[in-house]
Amino acid sequence: MTKRKPDLPQGTLDMLVLKALSLGSMHGYGIGQRIQQLAENMLTVEEGTLYPALYRIEERGWIESEWGASENNRRARFYKLTRAGRKQLQVEESNWEHLSVAVRKILEAS
Amino acid sequence: MTVIRYLIRRLRALWRSDDIHDEIAEEMRFHIELRAEENVRRGMTAEEARREAERKFGRFSRIKEQGYEVRGGRWLEATWQDLRYSVRLLMKTPGFTLIATLTLALGIGPNTAIFSIVYATLLAPAPYPNPDQLVIVWSQARGNREGTSFADYLEWKEQATSFQYLEPFWPRGFNLATQEAPERVRARQTSTNGHRMYGEGVLIGRDFAPDEDQQGKNHVALLRHRLWSERFGSDPGVIGRDIRLDGTPYKVIGVLRPGVNDRLPADLWIPLPMKPDEIANRQFRPLLVSGRLKPGVTIEQAQQEMNAIARRQAERFPDSNAGRSLSVEAYQNNFLPSDRVRNLWLLLAAVSFVVLIACVNVANLLLSRGAARERETAIRAALGAPRWRLARLALIESLALAAAGGALGALSSVWILQGILAILPRFTLPAEADPRLNLPVLLFTLAATALSGVLCGTAQAWRASRTDWNDALKKAGRSSSGSGRRSLRHALVVVEFAMAVTLLAGAGLTILSFWNRTQIELGVRTDNILTFGLPVNEGRFSSTAQIDGFYRTLLERFQEVPGVVHASVSAPAVPLLSTGFSRQFSVVGQTDVAPSLRPRAGVHMVTPEYFETFGMRLVRGRALTADDGPSAQRVAVVDERFVNRFLEGKDPLGQGVVMGQFVPGATRLGPGGAVPGSPAEWRIVGVFRDVSNMERFDDPGQPQIYLPFAQSPWPQAMVAVRAANSPEALRPSLAAAVQSVAPDLPLMDVRTMDQIVGERLAPDRLNVALYGGLAALALALAAMGIYGVMAYTVAQRTPEIGLRMALGARPAQVRLHILREGLTLAAVGLALGLAGAYALGRAMQSMLYGTDALSLPVLFAVGLVLLGVALGACYAPARRASAVDSMIAIRSE
Repeated sequence: MTKRKPDLPQGTLDMLVLKALSLGSMHGYGIGQRIQQLAENMLTVEEGTLYPALYRIEERGWIESEWGASENNRRARFYKLTRAGRKQLQVEESNWEHLSVAVRKILEAS
Repeated sequence: MTVIRYLIRRLRALWRSDDIHDEIAEEMRFHIELRAEENVRRGMTAEEARREAERKFGRFSRIKEQGYEVRGGRWLEATWQDLRYSVRLLMKTPGFTLIATLTLALGIGPNTAIFSIVYATLLAPAPYPNPDQLVIVWSQARGNREGTSFADYLEWKEQATSFQYLEPFWPRGFNLATQEAPERVRARQTSTNGHRMYGEGVLIGRDFAPDEDQQGKNHVALLRHRLWSERFGSDPGVIGRDIRLDGTPYKVIGVLRPGVNDRLPADLWIPLPMKPDEIANRQFRPLLVSGRLKPGVTIEQAQQEMNAIARRQAERFPDSNAGRSLSVEAYQNNFLPSDRVRNLWLLLAAVSFVVLIACVNVANLLLSRGAARERETAIRAALGAPRWRLARLALIESLALAAAGGALGALSSVWILQGILAILPRFTLPAEADPRLNLPVLLFTLAATALSGVLCGTAQAWRASRTDWNDALKKAGRSSSGSGRRSLRHALVVVEFAMAVTLLAGAGLTILSFWNRTQIELGVRTDNILTFGLPVNEGRFSSTAQIDGFYRTLLERFQEVPGVVHASVSAPAVPLLSTGFSRQFSVVGQTDVAPSLRPRAGVHMVTPEYFETFGMRLVRGRALTADDGPSAQRVAVVDERFVNRFLEGKDPLGQGVVMGQFVPGATRLGPGGAVPGSPAEWRIVGVFRDVSNMERFDDPGQPQIYLPFAQSPWPQAMVAVRAANSPEALRPSLAAAVQSVAPDLPLMDVRTMDQIVGERLAPDRLNVALYGGLAALALALAAMGIYGVMAYTVAQRTPEIGLRMALGARPAQVRLHILREGLTLAAVGLALGLAGAYALGRAMQSMLYGTDALSLPVLFAVGLVLLGVALGACYAPARRASAVDSMIAIRSE
């Protein structure tokens, strides 16, 4: 029985991608896997949203991509964080903390 | 950084939209494969695993499209769509397209041609290896460039450490004798390293040996490729053969590689022998010294070093070197006068004005076309086309037009350039400059084209993005087009006229200057005179009597030639070509000053027939005669300038002038000037009218002294022959007469006096042609522009005009109304253009003669021409307006 996994709030996916890539460059499949692992399988990322997100983030200059060889030596597109992306990640993290504290306060109000 | 990467990606998207698609697809396949593998690990069958993976991926093609769009592919496709749409529209209106394309080509063609000249002359590196290392070292005295003495040069060579090469050269002319006839060639006499400095190697044969600058071994020659192919039929057998230069045999040892050498004014290279007597004479300064700096050494460092050397030389040799400084200067364009550099830039600015005018015209054309398409655009807007998309469409359309115009312009510039080069007087550009359509020029044209495209389209793009299309749609059907569009178009016409005025005024000034120069009182008659030189070398005569005898005999032979009226010999040259040997003098009986402060006059040695030949007018006393021979009293005639400046208030006749004698051989004339012999006194017997110094118009000129040739013979002289008619027809018989006396002497630089005057006027004529051409172009474009706008106005206002006429306006009134509107635009443009005209006039000042930056007659003429043209251009639309049938016009609303 798999537990139903919640949808990601809009905009969080970008942050998660940046976070995943802050641990090292990875191809698209790996990014999805890594997010899933980090969330201890509490989250899955749909491929249908992951790739458009990757392209969008790349277009903004936060990540860049190049072709490389995967673990089993197949041609794969690797993404890596740019300097601007690293900064953006910091911004989003602090925003997120702020937001989650605020949301929790509201929910805990009795 | 990100911006650049963004642009690169966009550009890549332009070439490789398929690649983007492929990349995305490949990435997704990779993903699906990994997912499937994992599914297999979890226990699914291969088939199940793949299906599950693909399902999870969602709709493959949709993601691919999204990715494509984000990655810049959509942008590309939309642009491509717009471009195709624009081109289709342009093809549908071939008349419009043709006119717009031609208009732009008319601007871009001349622009490309002029830029290729500017590029070749001022921007391109000189065609030598490491051209930045090449320098010229000038010896300067009192701020003037002078030649260098052998002794000076040898000391530099010994002491200076900044140079890889430091080589002297002495440009000279020689007669090259072959079986058929003697020919004048130009030789560059240089150290044995001289040509190596420029990096040119030897094609066949051998190079100079290091000791071949020693006297006795120096009779060897390197031919340049052009001389070898034109003169010796590219025969390798010429190596080892003797050629005779001024009668002296030189052995051809090699031929230089083709290249820049073939453009320089040197047909062959011979070693410059270091003669002890020339080294000893520190006053004799015939050499030009150029060098190649060692790698890493700057001109400033070399300058410092040469300053120290100059100081040491001035201390050790005060007689010859006191007050002398050295200047190390870049070799490239060293001989190009600064006002010519400015003239080139100015010309480029002027031709850019023409491009701008063309752009304004096309912008206006696009605006009226946009107005005609207003309804269609409104519908597109209503259907949801974003404003930026409409603006982009307008820009793409004008860029497409500009591309066509630019291509046509670049093509036509080849011929324009040829035309300009054909009318360029000799030596206008440095020998190294080779204007042609090359890659940098084409890149410039591409940039100019893109810029024009943007300029042309901006107005329409702005309109398209700004108009309230709902409003437009509501009004569509009725010719609406708010006053905003009209005033924009009117502003453009005003700008166009202002620019045309500027160019017209510039052209007017060149014409006025040319006219002024043709009106200069020359002081000599120039009709029916043939002049030529004789390439006499120094060793030809052993005494002055021989010189005089030789020329006397020649003149007697010339007199026997039928058709010859007068013939004369003069040194150094004929009038207008030379202002004489510059020589310091003192007047007997006047308080003398220190020798270095004595005034200078230009001295000519002339035979008695000189004055008749050139029709010079005697003011006082007598002319020189045959009686003023070697043994008679030394006499001279002077010009009025001399009398006014030095003998004011006195009777000039009988005054004595003292100056150093002219001793051929000793008194050599290198770039350093003549070294005078012992002083002697000449008695003034006559005064002649001034002869113009056409070389430098702004300079009233040095006073002139004419000495009898017989009393002061000079080996290198020029002959002038006055013919009864058609002087050029005399050439063969004159050449034959020379041959009968000296079979080895060809006629050199044969020209009529009228040709000489023409050559002197050539720079002015060139300015008139270039600026006149540009102004004519500008005027034509401006006329087209105002015609287009007025015709459009009339078409738009047909209902209004019809109404006026229905209410009783007479056709003449309507006509006047339209004409007045057009002329108002032209007049406002004219007024604005005055500022530009003044600025251009100021910038052109150095090339103008006898006129200021603002010349009232010129401005008046420009105003008349401009208003006349505007009137002409507006007349047809005005007539059309007055012919409007009021009923039809009103009903069309």
